[in-house]
Amino acid sequence: MPNYKFMPNHTFTRACAALAMSLVCGASLAAEKKLTVGVADALTGGGAVYGLPQANAVKMAADEINVAGGIKVGPDVYKIDVIAYDDKANPTEATNAVRKLIDRDGVKYILGFCCSGSTSAVASFIRNEKAVMLVGNAAERSITTAKIPNLVRTRPPADYSGQAAGTFIARKGQKRIAVLGALDVGFYAQYVDSVERELKKAGGEIIAREIFSLKDRDMSPQLTKIRGLNPDAILVVGYVEPAAFVYRQAVELGMNIPRYGFTSGSEEQFLRVTTSEQMEGVWDLRPTELTLLSASKNGVAYHANYTKIFNASPSPSSPYAYDQLYALKAAVEAAGTVDNTEAVAKALRTIPVPPQVVMQYQPVDGKMFDSNGQAYTSNGAFQWQKGKWVFVEDLPSDSKAYSQFLSTLN
Amino acid sequence: MKRSLSFLPWLLALIVLAMLPELLPVKYYLHLSILALIWVIVAQGQNLIQGFTGYVSIVQAGFMGIGAYGSALLSLNLQWPLWATVAMAPVITALFALLTGYPSLRVKGHYFAIVTLAFNLIIVIVLVHYSELTKGEAGISNIPKPWGGSREAFYYLALVLASALTLLAALIARSRVGEILLAIRQNEDLVAAVGIAAWKYKLFAFVVSAMYAGLGGALYAHFQGFINPEIFGVAQSLDAILAVILGGAGTIAGPAIGAFLVVFLPELLRFADSFRLILYGLILVLATIFMPIGIVGIARSGFARMTGRGGQHGG
Repeated sequence: MPNYKFMPNHTFTRACAALAMSLVCGASLAAEKKLTVGVADALTGGGAVYGLPQANAVKMAADEINVAGGIKVGPDVYKIDVIAYDDKANPTEATNAVRKLIDRDGVKYILGFCCSGSTSAVASFIRNEKAVMLVGNAAERSITTAKIPNLVRTRPPADYSGQAAGTFIARKGQKRIAVLGALDVGFYAQYVDSVERELKKAGGEIIAREIFSLKDRDMSPQLTKIRGLNPDAILVVGYVEPAAFVYRQAVELGMNIPRYGFTSGSEEQFLRVTTSEQMEGVWDLRPTELTLLSASKNGVAYHANYTKIFNASPSPSSPYAYDQLYALKAAVEAAGTVDNTEAVAKALRTIPVPPQVVMQYQPVDGKMFDSNGQAYTSNGAFQWQKGKWVFVEDLPSDSKAYSQFLSTLN
Repeated sequence: MKRSLSFLPWLLALIVLAMLPELLPVKYYLHLSILALIWVIVAQGQNLIQGFTGYVSIVQAGFMGIGAYGSALLSLNLQWPLWATVAMAPVITALFALLTGYPSLRVKGHYFAIVTLAFNLIIVIVLVHYSELTKGEAGISNIPKPWGGSREAFYYLALVLASALTLLAALIARSRVGEILLAIRQNEDLVAAVGIAAWKYKLFAFVVSAMYAGLGGALYAHFQGFINPEIFGVAQSLDAILAVILGGAGTIAGPAIGAFLVVFLPELLRFADSFRLILYGLILVLATIFMPIGIVGIARSGFARMTGRGGQHGG
């Protein structure tokens, strides 16, 4: 069992391991080649709650693929090596990290990308590079409306989930919804806009849009204002930590109304801020990401392996990055090359969903990624019950219709 | 050093910088060098108000943002030629600086720093929330790049502009205006007592400083091809201050050296993984405590000690 708490640069360890292996195996390693993939993600700072688990997930997938024999391209077998750099979810840092991966390290395949601002910065120039970019958790819609041929994304855009969430809230009978969230972040605003459209169809409305920022911890002013409006429910959209403070402080202020959210945080991440009692009954309406109760066989195995290796539960969104590597493996094998990035990028848009992935994708015309380079998962309603996120039901989501809609956007 | 020979280090630096694209085996370092040259412009501007006038402004990145968004929006929405938009960026920034500088410069010391900090926050808030124009946090993509995005060509553009603006800063520093700015830094009350309207000179330094930042922002936008409000936050304004302190406040060479440090140091520390920012912070704290006169100040002291002569200010 490899002992790797996440350490992005294992150069020395790898060098020692490679030396030892070559001494033991001698000539048998001569035919083996190395495919280096890069990860650019938020390993520190506020975005690290998403970025660090993603980077860990890529390393775990690489190790699994290597143990299973690597990537087979014709007569060659490629073992995967991972280099990960921190982009702090900052556009300039992300550009620097990716430039380093491409220019200095010679990397052709770059994975990770949890956060929208930094991802958009890289997406703006990746078209001109002989490289393929696989985006994970970053949910800003415009990332896949630019029709960049060498970019694909495993996570569906936020408004795809917002539409399903709006239908669910309307069906629950709540009419007057107050929103509190990181509404200055584009994709959260897009999610709320979609919710509002669906609410209006059912005669409902959003009565308040209050904002918190990533670093805010005291939400009582916004909550006090919302309480005065007497809403039927609140909807919380944002990063895990500030959202957790909202849930906690809503209880502390005596707001006994349904709480809906769009956060994708793990139990462990929420419990750093709130108690399980304060979280009881909270809904998370999001892509059907990883929770043990919603997980497939692959998901259960992923959860167990990740927990064992990293001594922490995986965040629900981390498999987006894990799945990237399996999609890349399938595309490289389909294209029959690792050097021709154009062929691999094309192959990514033609492969079916690989059997090893964790998320439950909804293929469009039998393909994992549509012509925009976008993959779709089902959406689900999860509820916090006795210390755990419990998968309650699937939310209606039409990936093909959304894909067509996405194709019409610039 | 005799004045006739004082240009030699500059000439040597220019020759090395001019040859850099040929010397660098990896284009990633060229990318960082372009960013560093943009930061040289921003830091030289910061030095005018902070180093020479003695007013610590925490809005330099906000002004970069105004220049960047101004140039990008003129290019994309009004289809202005790229060179015209870059030239307009400092003008637009100067207008904002005039509006903000007049009330800001009525206060001194920490109060001035706090007022400018507030302006930077306001600029970011406007950039985030006026999304009809700025596209908010999602940012603006596909900003035109000159010469088809050639990094070598952009490098020389940045080098020419950084050199020209460094020369301009030196000319300002050695002019009567520069002497008055230094006098304001030393004793503003005394400057007022001899009948000089100090506020005019302070406003001049603040506006010119902002123009430098505006031009730097426009260059950044057309180099990267993408901007969003995150890039122009207070953290980046602190980087501009650090560039001046690390290099040497109130000198001409200092901000140039400091700019390269704030760009290259975090990148060179990537080997330290998650300890990178801790290490970076530690280096900055130690440098500020033990090198308050900056690298140029220390080099001058060392040179003066060796030759038995005092250092010369403003060079």
